[in-house]
Amino acid sequence: MEETKTQTGLDIEEIRRRLRGERGQRYWRSLEEVAETPEFQQFLEDEFPNRSSLLDLDRRSFLKVMGASLALAGLSGCRFLPKEKIVPYVKAPEEVVPGKPTYYATAMPFAGSSIGLIAKAVMGRPIKLEGNESHPWSLGASDVFSQAAILALYDPDRGTTVKNRGFVATWEEFLAEARKVLPQAKGVRLVVGDVASPTLERQLAEFQAIYPNAKIVRHEPVSRANVREGAKIALGREALPVHDFSKARVVLAVDADFLASMPGSVRYAREFAGTRRVDEENQSLSRLYCVEPAPTPTGILADHRLPIAQADLEGFLQHVAYLAGAASQPGAANLAPESFWNGLAKDLRSAGAQAAVVVGDACTPAAHALAIAIQAKLGSVGSTVRYVAAPAVRSDQRLSALVTDLESGAADAVLFLQANPVYSSGLGERLGKAIGKAKLSACFDLYETETAAACSWYLPAPHFLEDWSDARALDGTVSIVQPLVEPLHDTLSVHSLLPALMNRPSEPLAEVRKTWAVDDKTWRTWLNEGVASVPKAAELPVPATVQAPVGRSRRVDGFEVAIRPDPTVWDGTFANNGWLQELPKPFTKLTWDNAVHLSFSAAESLKVSNGDVVRVTLGERSVEGPAWILPGLAKNTVLLHLGYGRRAGGRVAEGAGFDVYPLTSEDSPWGGVGARVEKTGKRAVLASAQMHFSMEGRDIVRMGTMEEYRRNPSLKPEHAHGEAPRDLTLYSDEEKRREQEGVQQWGMAIDLNLCMGCNACVTACQAENNIPVVGKDQVQRGREMHWIRIDHYYGPRAGDGSGDNPTHVVQPINCMQCENAPCEPVCPVAATVHSHEGLNQMVYNRCVGTRYCSNNCPYKVRRFNYLNYQFAQKNFDRKEDIPLLKLLNNPDVTVRGRGVMEKCTYCVQRINAARIEAKKKGRDIRDGEVVTACQQACPSQAIVFGDVSDPNSRVSQIKRNQRNYALLGELNTRPRTTYLARVTNPNPEIEA
Amino acid sequence: MAETLTKPHDEEPLIEGNQTYASLTETVAGVVQRQKDHPKAWFVAFVLGFGLVNVLLLSITYLVYMGIGIWGNNQPVAWSFDIINFVWWIGIGHAGTLISAILLLMRQEWRTSINRFAEAMTIFAVMCAGMYPLLHTGRPWVAYWLLPYPNILAMWPQPRSPLVWDVFAVSTYMTVSILFWYTGLVPDLATLRERVKNRFAKVLAGMGSLGWRGSAKHWMRYEQAYIILAGLSTPLVLSVHTIVSFDFAVSILPGWQATIFPPYFVAGAVYAGFAMVLTFMIPMRRWYRIEHLVTMNHIDWMAKIMLTTGLIVFYGYIVEVFYAWYSANPYEQFMMWNRWHGPYAPAYWLLILCNGVIPQLLWSKKNRRNLKLVFAVSLVVSLGMWLERFIIIPVSLHRDFLPSSWGMYYPTIWDFGMFFGTIGFFVMMMFLFVRFIPMISIFEVRELWSRIRPQRAEVKEVEA
Amino acid sequence: MARLFSPVANTIARASLVAAVAVPVGAIVMGSVVSRSPANTNVGVAFDQPVPFSHAHHSIELGIDCRYCHTSVTKSSSAGIPSTETCMSCHSQIWTDSPLLEPVRQSWAEGKPIRFASTGEVGWNRVAKVPEFVYFNHSIHIARGIQCNECHGNIQEQHMTAKGKPFFMKWCLDCHRKPEKALYVDEQQPDLTPQEKVFAFYRKIQEGAKLSARELALKKGREYQPTAAELEKGREMVQKMDIKVKTLADCYICHR
Repeated sequence: MEETKTQTGLDIEEIRRRLRGERGQRYWRSLEEVAETPEFQQFLEDEFPNRSSLLDLDRRSFLKVMGASLALAGLSGCRFLPKEKIVPYVKAPEEVVPGKPTYYATAMPFAGSSIGLIAKAVMGRPIKLEGNESHPWSLGASDVFSQAAILALYDPDRGTTVKNRGFVATWEEFLAEARKVLPQAKGVRLVVGDVASPTLERQLAEFQAIYPNAKIVRHEPVSRANVREGAKIALGREALPVHDFSKARVVLAVDADFLASMPGSVRYAREFAGTRRVDEENQSLSRLYCVEPAPTPTGILADHRLPIAQADLEGFLQHVAYLAGAASQPGAANLAPESFWNGLAKDLRSAGAQAAVVVGDACTPAAHALAIAIQAKLGSVGSTVRYVAAPAVRSDQRLSALVTDLESGAADAVLFLQANPVYSSGLGERLGKAIGKAKLSACFDLYETETAAACSWYLPAPHFLEDWSDARALDGTVSIVQPLVEPLHDTLSVHSLLPALMNRPSEPLAEVRKTWAVDDKTWRTWLNEGVASVPKAAELPVPATVQAPVGRSRRVDGFEVAIRPDPTVWDGTFANNGWLQELPKPFTKLTWDNAVHLSFSAAESLKVSNGDVVRVTLGERSVEGPAWILPGLAKNTVLLHLGYGRRAGGRVAEGAGFDVYPLTSEDSPWGGVGARVEKTGKRAVLASAQMHFSMEGRDIVRMGTMEEYRRNPSLKPEHAHGEAPRDLTLYSDEEKRREQEGVQQWGMAIDLNLCMGCNACVTACQAENNIPVVGKDQVQRGREMHWIRIDHYYGPRAGDGSGDNPTHVVQPINCMQCENAPCEPVCPVAATVHSHEGLNQMVYNRCVGTRYCSNNCPYKVRRFNYLNYQFAQKNFDRKEDIPLLKLLNNPDVTVRGRGVMEKCTYCVQRINAARIEAKKKGRDIRDGEVVTACQQACPSQAIVFGDVSDPNSRVSQIKRNQRNYALLGELNTRPRTTYLARVTNPNPEIEA
Repeated sequence: MAETLTKPHDEEPLIEGNQTYASLTETVAGVVQRQKDHPKAWFVAFVLGFGLVNVLLLSITYLVYMGIGIWGNNQPVAWSFDIINFVWWIGIGHAGTLISAILLLMRQEWRTSINRFAEAMTIFAVMCAGMYPLLHTGRPWVAYWLLPYPNILAMWPQPRSPLVWDVFAVSTYMTVSILFWYTGLVPDLATLRERVKNRFAKVLAGMGSLGWRGSAKHWMRYEQAYIILAGLSTPLVLSVHTIVSFDFAVSILPGWQATIFPPYFVAGAVYAGFAMVLTFMIPMRRWYRIEHLVTMNHIDWMAKIMLTTGLIVFYGYIVEVFYAWYSANPYEQFMMWNRWHGPYAPAYWLLILCNGVIPQLLWSKKNRRNLKLVFAVSLVVSLGMWLERFIIIPVSLHRDFLPSSWGMYYPTIWDFGMFFGTIGFFVMMMFLFVRFIPMISIFEVRELWSRIRPQRAEVKEVEA
Repeated sequence: MARLFSPVANTIARASLVAAVAVPVGAIVMGSVVSRSPANTNVGVAFDQPVPFSHAHHSIELGIDCRYCHTSVTKSSSAGIPSTETCMSCHSQIWTDSPLLEPVRQSWAEGKPIRFASTGEVGWNRVAKVPEFVYFNHSIHIARGIQCNECHGNIQEQHMTAKGKPFFMKWCLDCHRKPEKALYVDEQQPDLTPQEKVFAFYRKIQEGAKLSARELALKKGREYQPTAAELEKGREMVQKMDIKVKTLADCYICHR
């Protein structure tokens, strides 16, 4: 973006020249040098006029300042004003109004699919990503990955320059070499993941046209191959299911986390939530059956959850098919009690077209085929599910073939396009060696990955916010990916790289527009809406009866290993993202690590407790990692998460957790049976953000079944004390009432029926409110800084009572903004006081840091800056002050320094912005004009915020629901955030 | 009881041996005069104290440089050693004030030979205590915001917060204690002025004694001032620790929110205070050969007071248990259950042992007059009182309302650095005090002697 | 025995008693005075700038509207600093060879922000600044009809720009607690919207129109004590504009 240069007086070119080829220590020093140049100072000061100077007292000059603050006019509480510069534009860009954010529609490509986003930029700096309402797969919401993606843009560990065998080089040098080698290469290989960009697909085809001996190798660690395969078996053509849960009355999810981590989950969560809202009028809930080896957020919302080994899932589906009349012979009937089968079958048949069967990506092709057969039989195809043609993903060769070709020399030029198989495949080691044999090997990626280390060339890739591209979503919806900033580093778009290799240099924008030959007007509307008006993927006809292979259970002798992408760092792509590393994982609340998850009874039989390092052996490969007990796992299933144990790719990624890929292979990427688990006697320390998972019989999360709800709509337990009576005070409420009179009163309602604990709100809050990352050590000490957290409890145990299948409940907790806030009267300096709009104000610049407020907060939502956490990605105590990360900060939120208490403010910066605009128009804020970051991100719209003094506001209506209750109401804190009790809809015919 | 207390010398004299005014003065003033011959113990103790003071300085420097994070505090346990030590030290100070003020008003003659010493302890203890509230704040350089003063922010301290009350309580306490102590010191400094040979010392003493000439007028003024200050500090004995207890009592936290706290804290304070006086007095009287001034009688009385206050404190523990049950409040009940069975249960039972069980030994007169045992008990009580605050503060905090936010607290080396550092400071100051200031009020002893001597004379005559 | 102290010691002793009280008190008073003085607040202290820009010349003598340079003052929190382009829109025609304007022309030629010819420092020295944790919004104040002079003093009379008011929190609150003090209607043109009124005022100054006592005080950057009647009028305006006065002093209005 040209503005970056002019508006800030920062010469990006200049910086790039200085940074070119600087790495590690040297890189930092030179970055500091750059940071010292006046231009860079202005660049920062424009938005951060030494923002940190008061709160984040710079340590070096600390004593000086302290001296000053005491000496100079001690009593005024005021300091000599620092001299400060204002740097104006040379040429002011029209669209930028200083101090006002600008919004651009773009999209985030992810694992062969994409989600439409709106990027918020302030003075040319992208600082926040939100879902794009007009994008069908976002609907305005987002997930943890798209929320955290912005951090990667400013990640100081990103590749900054071309490298040749570790030495700084230039693009020119690489292209010269490539143009020399490619034409007479024996075999050229392009390794790519599941590409979401039609333009890239086109370019790959063109590339092969020019280099006939070039082959495309697909490598996506977490691929949907089984789904496509299954469709091929059943329908004779690769296809992807596109579900519509808004129409579903009965959902059977087979190892399918369709609410949180499956492609399309953001939309699915919204649709499903629509069928789970309960109030006086609407009392018909959909019913969700979950059958899964390992607990998932989807399983949390299940009405019936059955832990079943993944080896048994096929057999399970076979029996469902049999009961649904879609298959002639029964399956593994022994997996569930009689009543379960009957209940399920009855529900599915009666639901008919309104039944949905979702099968997870990890399930076998046969399982997917069976699912198609069942739905075809039930007639739900066309209503709750459509099958659309999968994008034609050309793969000429598998990874194993590539390795042999490289070893034999049949392939002597290989280019990895944002693929990292040396780390993310079972063949890593061999591949790493084989690459060495190639004449030309290059790795094009965001970070200097393991693969980059094995290749002779490393080519830095741009972040998607720096690059023009396009991206296909699940159902073929196309969005244009448009850049917000000029590349920060010496990167080259992949769309320019390939043409350059084909000797016809071209610009990414030109390339993308070439793919979509449309006039400027249409193009502009596409850019504005973030969705291109092009035909979606073709829908496949599905016959009434589909022949599916017979599903069989495999015998599990010993343990079974289930390998899944990590809920926060996925397949390792996000391993260098501090936000995601520190994001407590669902269920375990672990941060900065993966673990060997064992079921309750497995741990008992192995005499293993949390933190014991165990060795998991599958076939002849084995990995070692710390054990963690995860109630809800199938008895003999060991759950392992990918994405950890990175050996390269950034200081945050490296050294965290252990690598599970050695246990994967091309044919069984999802683990397998016959595994051994033994203790090693070693211990490891894991950092969990929550230590106690029992409610201790306290009235914390209210829940009940439909019948219980009908009997007692508040679902308040008999023993519970409930909210304290309003007149329980010596002072009349009159004063409080007068205070609030005529002023909008902010409040929030969270529907526990819709929250599955996907963490999107937590990351959104972190991005919006400049919340620092504190690192594993600090999390372990109980000092994580998240303003909103997802509490996780085990509900009443279901089934055998072995503790192997407890009901899970989650509860998002942010500052309750109590009307009688216990924190307020104890603050000695009035740093936390009540606003007339009912907010519990936390004034950072007044805070002295006695921490009394936190002691007196029954919800423990306050967070204290025990050390100087700002601007550090991982080891704040290394005192890394990273200028690049400063660019990420939201200028509307104070950056808190050490020694200051902080907490959720209901995104007061958004309230204020809305109020000022409203007042200028001479009116109050309208309902829905203020959306908090957590609310905006929430895929299931469980969080609703608004004016509780207005009876017609959405939040007021929801709070009128009888399920509405105040957490710890008996303390008479009168929280403004209230919860809606959770109602489950189990099938009465099934005895749990 | 007061009746018997007033005439302890009926059984045994408060000043033993065949004394003259001169000999009394000599014993006390001599300590200051003969700088050459101090017991080895003095050097050992001083060096120990000085060493620990350096640890303290190091800890403070690193603390201010890095932040509170170097301690073990966390969420939910946002207060721990910092406030424990604050309360502990403040408590220790109380013996001094009680002895000098209340016992004075109650005409307890046996106070005369220990009040100077105890008051000195008060002052140094409050100094130690005062460090913590300041340093435990996240941003000590703005801690002055707790003081009310007109400023350009139009901001004032928040008067509903007990932390603000603390500021006043503690600073008042400090001021009054120093005044009281110094006033009592004036006549003795005059004595020193007359006795010391070294010119420099003479000048110092001279300046300190504010031109005291011992005229009748001086004595009259002195008595007035002293009695007024005694009157002033009497309520402080109760008020200071009451207000400190409010730091907890006004909160909503189970284990903190208790109406019993004020009396229970005050008793605890006196308890800890006397323990500390004994801890120092017992070796001192030996090292400085003042057994005839600080007699077994004194030890006995102090032991009795310790026993009494100890019982009150123990009663406090029992009441806490009773109300946990009686309140029928699940959170209160869990709090108590957690003290008994939770991860910190050993600390609780050790507390009961130290503060509840062991002091019962003091019922027997034999034990009260067994120096080694009394010394041991006084140490045990000091530990016990520290543990009490540990149980009240981190153990109540680490498991409160929402199980999801429960946590654990582990102190770091810096927590101990601060704690032992202040102990070192205290020790160092005490030993400097005994070396350079008469550790017993010379003129009061002489005055006491003047009253108990004749009776003894009569006795002699009868014998004759 | 030799006398220990000479008679003067008594006097010294008494004196030191007095000093013990006087010195700390004095230090405190001194401190407060200094902190409230321009030495600390920079009120009326003109900084040296790359170009000796004169508000007096441009706004009054030439009658250029504030918004010509401070483009976003009615739209955004920041008033906006004119780009070199803005300066050049006139100075490419007039004073094209004035040595004083060399930095502007240089900036334009190089496409780099304006810098001091002498030191090469980039940018203007900031004159009016609130602390980083204070979120001031120009647009809403203008929309409410708060004159620029309320905060920027006699800006139209300044040849070298200097800070007009100390920007103490106390001073902000004074108005936020009693907005009626600063709200008024221009009697000569009563039907202007508050925002129009703000800028109409400067045209009046420029045309040398007759100014009310309040307007005169504003122009001179002096304190003005509104009369009871004016305050009453002000309160009416508060009502009319539905300004929720009690919320105006909430912390979150300015701090986040």
